[in-house]
Order: sequence, then C-alpha cells, then structure tokens
Amino acid sequence: MPTRREILQQAGKTATVLTTTAPWWLVRRAHAARQAKLVVWNPAALAPQVDKIMQEQCYAYAKQAGIKESEIDYQIIGGPQLVPKLVASLEAGNPPDITRLGGGYVQLYRSQGHLLEVTDLVNKMQKAQGGLFPVSLPSVMHQGKAYGVPQSVSPWPLVTRLDLLEAAKVEPPKTWDEFVEVCKKLQKPPKLTGFGLCLGLQNDTDNNVMNMIWCYGGKLVEADNKTVALHSRGTIAAVQLIADMFNKHKIIPKGAIAWDNTSNNKAYQSRQVIFVLNPTSIYAHLADSDKELYNVTGLLPVPAGPAGAIEELTTAEWLLFKHNPYPEVAKGLAEYWMAPDNLRVMIEEGDGRWGPPYKNMYDSKFWKRPVFQHWRSMLERGRSFASPGSHNPASGEVLATFVLGRMMHRVLVESWDVEKAVVEAHKKVAEIYARHQKG
Amino acid sequence: MATSTTVSLPLPSSRRRLGWRGERIQRFLTHDRTLGYLFLFPAILVIVGLVAYPFASAIVMTFQEKTAGAPGRFIGLDNYRELFSSEQFLRTVFNTFIYTAVGVGLKFFLGLSMALVLNQERFCNNLFRSFLLVPWAIPTVMSALNWRWIFDDASGLINNILVRLNLIEETISWLSNPHLAMLSVVAVVVWQGTPFFTMSFLAGLQAIPKELYEAAEIDGASVLQQFKHITLPRLQPIFITAVMLSAILTSAAIQFVLILTNGGPADRTMIFSVLSYHLALGGAQRLGMGAAVSLIFFPILVVFIVFLTRRMLREKGE
Amino acid sequence: MALRVTTQRRVLQGLGNGVLVLMLLWTAIPFYWMIATSLKHDKEIYGYEATLIPERPTLANYATVFRETPYMLYLRNSVAVAVGSTVLSMIIAVLGAYAIARLDFPGRALLARGLVFTYLVPTSLLFIPMFAMMSMLRLTDSLYGLTIAYLGFDVPFCTWLLMGYFKSVPVELEEAARVDGCNRVSALVRVVLPMSLPALVVVTFFSFTHAWNEFLYAHVFTSTTSARTVTTGLVNFMSQDVFFWGPLMASTVMSALPPVLMFLVFQRWVVKGLTLGGVKG
Repeated sequence: MPTRREILQQAGKTATVLTTTAPWWLVRRAHAARQAKLVVWNPAALAPQVDKIMQEQCYAYAKQAGIKESEIDYQIIGGPQLVPKLVASLEAGNPPDITRLGGGYVQLYRSQGHLLEVTDLVNKMQKAQGGLFPVSLPSVMHQGKAYGVPQSVSPWPLVTRLDLLEAAKVEPPKTWDEFVEVCKKLQKPPKLTGFGLCLGLQNDTDNNVMNMIWCYGGKLVEADNKTVALHSRGTIAAVQLIADMFNKHKIIPKGAIAWDNTSNNKAYQSRQVIFVLNPTSIYAHLADSDKELYNVTGLLPVPAGPAGAIEELTTAEWLLFKHNPYPEVAKGLAEYWMAPDNLRVMIEEGDGRWGPPYKNMYDSKFWKRPVFQHWRSMLERGRSFASPGSHNPASGEVLATFVLGRMMHRVLVESWDVEKAVVEAHKKVAEIYARHQKG
Repeated sequence: MATSTTVSLPLPSSRRRLGWRGERIQRFLTHDRTLGYLFLFPAILVIVGLVAYPFASAIVMTFQEKTAGAPGRFIGLDNYRELFSSEQFLRTVFNTFIYTAVGVGLKFFLGLSMALVLNQERFCNNLFRSFLLVPWAIPTVMSALNWRWIFDDASGLINNILVRLNLIEETISWLSNPHLAMLSVVAVVVWQGTPFFTMSFLAGLQAIPKELYEAAEIDGASVLQQFKHITLPRLQPIFITAVMLSAILTSAAIQFVLILTNGGPADRTMIFSVLSYHLALGGAQRLGMGAAVSLIFFPILVVFIVFLTRRMLREKGE
Repeated sequence: MALRVTTQRRVLQGLGNGVLVLMLLWTAIPFYWMIATSLKHDKEIYGYEATLIPERPTLANYATVFRETPYMLYLRNSVAVAVGSTVLSMIIAVLGAYAIARLDFPGRALLARGLVFTYLVPTSLLFIPMFAMMSMLRLTDSLYGLTIAYLGFDVPFCTWLLMGYFKSVPVELEEAARVDGCNRVSALVRVVLPMSLPALVVVTFFSFTHAWNEFLYAHVFTSTTSARTVTTGLVNFMSQDVFFWGPLMASTVMSALPPVLMFLVFQRWVVKGLTLGGVKG
C-alpha cells in the first residue's frame, strides 16, 4: 500500500514533469511540416507604411483566393538577414514561396535552378500600362523565358536638404567638383556632414560607387557580358574622388565605413548629413515620420562627371521559388501585387518608395509633383549596375560579395594606392566572371 | 520472498516478485558492465550523432564545391589552396590569434584581480559579487547589441560623453576605425566574459584553507610570497580549465564580431568563425569553403587542448 | 623595505576597494545605457541631440516591442527550447557521468578522455554540416530540431562536470545503500543525486543559459517566425525600420531578465560548482 509520502512524491514528480514539458505542448505547431499555403518573406521596405500596405494587399489577395489567414506565413525580414536565411533555407530545401530582391539575384538563383518560370506573368505585364521599362527585363529574362517578376525601377537621386542650400543661397551642384565645394561650405562637423556616402560592406556602397564610376567614364563589364572592364582611367578617377572626399575634404562621415543599408537613411533622417545618394526609401519614410524634413527634401539629379550625369538605376524583382507545393498561389500573389491598380495604391500611399516598372504609370498626378520633376530624365539616362552588360549570375555575385566595397576599404582603411586597389578589384571580378562561365 | 543470497534485510519491492530466472536477468542487468554501457548509451548516441557525424561530414564538405540546395561536387584540395593563398584568410588567422589571446589574457587578469578583491573581507561582499557577475548571465547577443549602440558614432554613449566634456572635436569611430575596431570588440568580449573567470577563481580561492596563510604568516612570509607559494599552485588547475574553456568559446563565438563590426573594417576584425559564416551563407554561398575555414582551425585548438589537459589529467593521475 | 604583513594587507585592502569601485562602474554603466535608451523617445536617442539622461522617460518602446513583434512567441520558444534541452541533457548526463564515475567496464578511461574533447568542438565548426543533417532529417525550422542540436554541446559538457562531482561523493555512502539492498539505479537516485545537489543545480543552470543564449544555430536553423527564439527574433528586428534602437533596447532589457533572475537565485551553487571540474577533476 503506497504511503502518503510516496503518493506525494509521485505527485510532485509528475507535476515537475508536466510543468517542464508544458511549453512543448504549446509549441507542437512549430514543427517543420509545412502547413502554410503561402510563405512570404518580404524584406523591410524601410518605410513602415509601405510594409503595411503590402501586407494588407497580400491578405486581401488571400481572402480573394480562398486562403485562410492561418494558412499564410507572412514575414517581414530585415535586410542583412534575408540572404543568409535564404541560403540556409535553400540548403534545407524549404525556401519561401516568394521574396523580393534586386541586384542580379534572379539570375544567380536561376542559374542554380531554384526559380519558378513566370513568363506568362511577365507577358501579361507587358500588355498593361504601356509595358515594362527596358531596364526591367534583362534582370529576369534568360533565353526567352522569365524567371522573376519585375517589381520596381528606382533611380537613385541625390537626396538633398534644400533648406540648407536655400539658407546659404547656394545653387544645387551640377558637377562633382561643385558638389565638393558646396559640402565644404555648408557642413558643420561633427554635427552636420556633407555627403552620406555609404562605405560599409553593403549593397548601397557598391551601387553608390558604381554610380560615381559611370560619371567618370568607367564601367564594370562590356556589353558582351564577358569582358571585364573595371580597370580604367575613369574608375581610377572616381575612386580617387571618393578617397579625396573622405581624406582630404572630409565631407564624408568617418563612420561611413561601417554603415549598413539603413545607416545612410538614418543619417539623413536625423539631420546629420546634407546629401545622400539613395532611392526614395528615405523620402517615403519622412512622409510619415517627419513632415518638416519631408517638405524640404529634394530629389535632385546626380552631379555630372566628365562622362556626364548618370544615375544608378536599380530594379527589384519578385522571386518565386520552385520548391513550392502551391505555385499558383504565389504566382497569383505576384500578379495581384503588380496589378496596376494595386501597385498604384502601394506607390502613392507609400509616398513613392519605388518607381513602378510600367512605362505609363508615370503619367499620373502623383508623379507630376514638383519633387519628382527630374524623375523622368533620371529614368531615361539611368543605368543598371552591370551596364552596358546586363545582370547575370556573375554580376549578381559581384554585388553579393561587395567587391567594390572591399576596393574602397583597401583605399580608405588600408591606405592602398588607388590604382592598385582598382587592379585587385578588376582581378576579382574577372575571376568571378570566369568561374561562372565555366560552370 | 527474499531470493538474493547475500542479504537478509527487507528488499525493495521490485525484487520480491521475481523468480530464479528473473534474478539471473536482473543480475545481468545490474552487472556493472551492462549498466555501464546502458547508462552511457544515450550520451554516446548524442556525441556520435551530434558531434562526430557532423564533424566527419564537415571534413568531407571541405573537399567539395557546394552551393545551397545542390549536392556538392568533389574538387579535392582546391578550397584549401584558395584559402591559403587568400589574403583575407591569412589576416583572419592573425586576427583570431590576437583576438583570442588578448581577450582571454585580459579576462584572466581582470578575473583574477576581481576574485582576489572579492575574497577580501568586506561589507556587502555578496552583493557586489552578484552584481559583478551579471554581465555573464545576459545573452551575448544582448551585450553585443548594447555595446554596438554604446560605440555608435553619432549618438553612442562614449562619444556623447566625450563631446559634452569637450575632449574631442570629431567623434571617434570605435567600430570603423581600423586601429580601434579590434580593441573595441575585445573590450566587449572582456566585459561579457570576465565574470566567468572571476567566479571560477573566487570559488578556488575560497576553497583554500585559511590555516595555510596563517601558518605562512607566522613563518614570516610577505603577502606576495604567500600569493606565489600558496595561492598560485592551488589555483593552477582552475587556471588551466578556465583558460581552455574560454579560449575555445571565445574564438568560436560569432555574435560579438557579427553584430559589432561584421568583420570589418577591411577584415580588421574578421575571425575564423565569422569568415566561415560569411563564406557559407553570404552572397557567394560557398559552403565547402566555409567548412574548410573552420576545419583549418580545429587542429590548432586540439593541440592547444591536448597540451593543457595533458598537464591537468596527468596531475589527477587518471 | 619590506612592510609588515598587516600593513601590506591594509594597503591591499585599500587598493582592492579602489579596484572594486572601478569594476562596479565598468559593469554598471553599459546597463545604465541599455535601460536609459529603452526609456527614451526617438528624438532623444539619435543624432547629436542624444541625451545622457532621459528627459522625458517613456514606456513607448516597450509597447512597440509587444505591438510590432511577436515577443511573447519568441519568449515562449526560448523557454521551450531551453527547458527541453536542459531536461534531456540532464537525464543523459547524469546517467553517463555516473557510469564513468562509478561503474567499471572496459573502455571507461578512453570514454572519459574522449568526453573532454567533444564538448570543445566549437559550434562554428559544426553549424554547416549540422544544418545539412537537420535539413535531411526535416528538423529545420523546428524547435525540436533546435533542442536536439543543443544537446550536442550540453551533454558532453554537463557529463564532464557531473563526472567530476560524482567522483567526489564518498563511495562508502553508496556501498552502505547497496548493502541495504539498493541496486545501482536506486543507489544513484537515492544517494548520489541528493548529495550532488549543488552540482546538479550548476549543470541545470549552464544548460539553461547556454540554450537561452545561443545564437548561431537558432539563427541558421530556423527561419519562420513561429520558430524564432528571443535572440534571433531581436536581431531580425533591426533593419526593419530605420529607428529601431529604442524598441531594441527595450526588448534587450526584457530578455536579459530571465537568465539574470535565474542566476541570482542559483549563484551560490554556481560558484561552488565551477571548481568541481577543475579542482576535483
């Protein structure tokens, strides 16, 4: 006959077991077995209202398609986390159904066989609103088929504190030399620095540096997409200019070397810099967070170098992955998001976070606002990263491994001679292109 | 009904119901050897499955070129060749040594100092001890994030104070200045990890009987001599254990570097664990290469451990 | 030149007090900054107007954490994984340590030495093949998978710690129990375990904090929100918006509390337990 003591002991033991395992009963659903019909990894747009709109649109689509909310797994992922997570998920065989990336990732993942073919969707888009901008297509097309859905086209204007220029009665700079002078005149270090050029190992850096390289006549690769052309007088001149800005004129914050993709946004929005080369994420964020700054922010054309004034043009695409038991759902979502009416809502209520990829959508009232007066010309003369070549797995890897960022670090951190750094970067790019041509 | 031949006291209830054969089985089951293997089985399963097997497959992966989601392609020693001729890798080796040596060294000395201080008689010593040990209890990610903010260029605590006190004109870029970045990261590592050393040494100090010191004092030994001849030898095993553990855990941790500097600027703070992570999961997705980086460091760690533990195990007479 | 020992001691005491004050400051100031930032408005956090002492303290950042992130979910996950891996590794480690410490069987010495090495294999070495293995077993994105992964470190480490302590429990007590009719198992449960309570507490503590603290595996192995733990969930929180430091510090303060509380409760045993492996071997 068990004694009272033994019963209590047993009860105590059982209670302990129960309490320690209780969390497990609650987490049974966290098991890997996929229950969601739609898995979306949407990278943060850096303007919260835009994140919200896209999420709402996604849920609206789901409702329309008869999918329950519990069957959707929608995540907003911070920028730097997206790629490692994506790589890890591809290795595990369970990538999301849809995500958004720019910079040649479509070509990179297509070459590895991960992406769904979406030619029908893209063809449909070509028939709407005057069709897509030419710059959108090379990033997604391969041998006549499309492997990504163009999402946006964004020139990178010179985001400017117009109030500071006005107060000092200074004209917006037309050339890079003027730009340097304006910065030197208007900045008040350490509180206010002239140029918030991102120099960390991030996408922003490579894009900004490439931008300046074009203005000085340099380029990444020739139109044949094989011959690497980075080492040139133009490139050296541009890199030298940045080095001078950093070391001699001191118009770039010293900490820029460690910036991530949000740091230049943050620097501008907390009024620490006068100029930033960035797509309109800053502008859109200000619409909600700081109306005062919003009203005095201008989106100016890039200053000209000897080869002209050329803006960086980045495109973003929706990537749909193959390992998806419900491909039609994902395709439907991409189609929904890119339907001109929905897109218009997202762009206009998102305060111009991106530019639509449809040619005719720029005829709306929204884009006729004075702040966007240079937009059209920027779109027309802007170039994408690999120009005159186009995005392919090799250029995707160049961007993904921050070759240009590392080149800048050689010069700015390790005090290398500019030409030496350019030559090294050229070699690296050539090696990447060679490797992708082999495989 | 008692069936055991050696005992006359009442047996635990489980034995009563067994017959002769049951007793044979039970004796087999309770035989040292069977029990030994039985008890150890789960542990061995875990070790083989979660340490040995992944380790072996890591080795295989280093000979492959592997991108995510695709099977690896055998390429022999190419990964190693590329690494040893890569400047980034060589710098990583150098950085890892400095980072680990300086980090563990500082932790050691600060920890020992703190332990000695806390071992002194003092009012509210327990309170101080508890407080000083808290950094070690916070998750490392939290510490790293907090310190990243403390080091921030524009709005961080340090720059804030220095500017207010008019000590500097331009803010100091703790994390992006190539000369300061490593120091800053090590400072965080030390802040977070010193309590572990403090705790270990303090426990060791408290285990030394006071009589030894009193006897030495009667014999005329100075404080320094007491320290050298009583304290240090007694603490030696703890020194070894703590340094060993700390060296492994410090060099292998990625949180600090990843969150504070991500390896920059210009790979000035890149240590092997972070390099491995970048190579495997960064844009280039070269998993084989990432595994190779980690694997190259392993023998170094093993030699270090063998050296240390041989001394320790020898002293235990194992 | 040599001072008398008592004078030496007095000097050292003074020095010690000075060092103590410095260390207290060194420890406390980052905490202060963490808490202060969590209580500030955005305007007080960023830029050159950043204040040292919050002028208008607010709890808005804490509210943001709960509003914008599934913080309770992360908390639940962290607790589940920490408790699960701790319980499992405790059971396995107790059995294994007892076997090595007390039982005699061929291969015992070899296993004991091997044990010392296995827990020293760093996670950064294993995370890639471990991840590939987990994917194959379909255990990624799952808290079960994470728990199992943590065992890889916890079991060897805890076994090693316990082994040392079990050895120091006087054998006579166990012998007495066995004479009284206990078999090995009950001797373990009734005699050895109660006597090694401090060691058990230490092992539990280490296991728990390791799992709670762990970042790399949690970061790589899980991607869906429902499987994220506190450490990885927070890191993702960064770069979702440009101004995140306030809410991030708020969540940091909250996430630091459970292990700190646990530590304050257990620290007496932890300090004692740390000498186990080293001195007693």
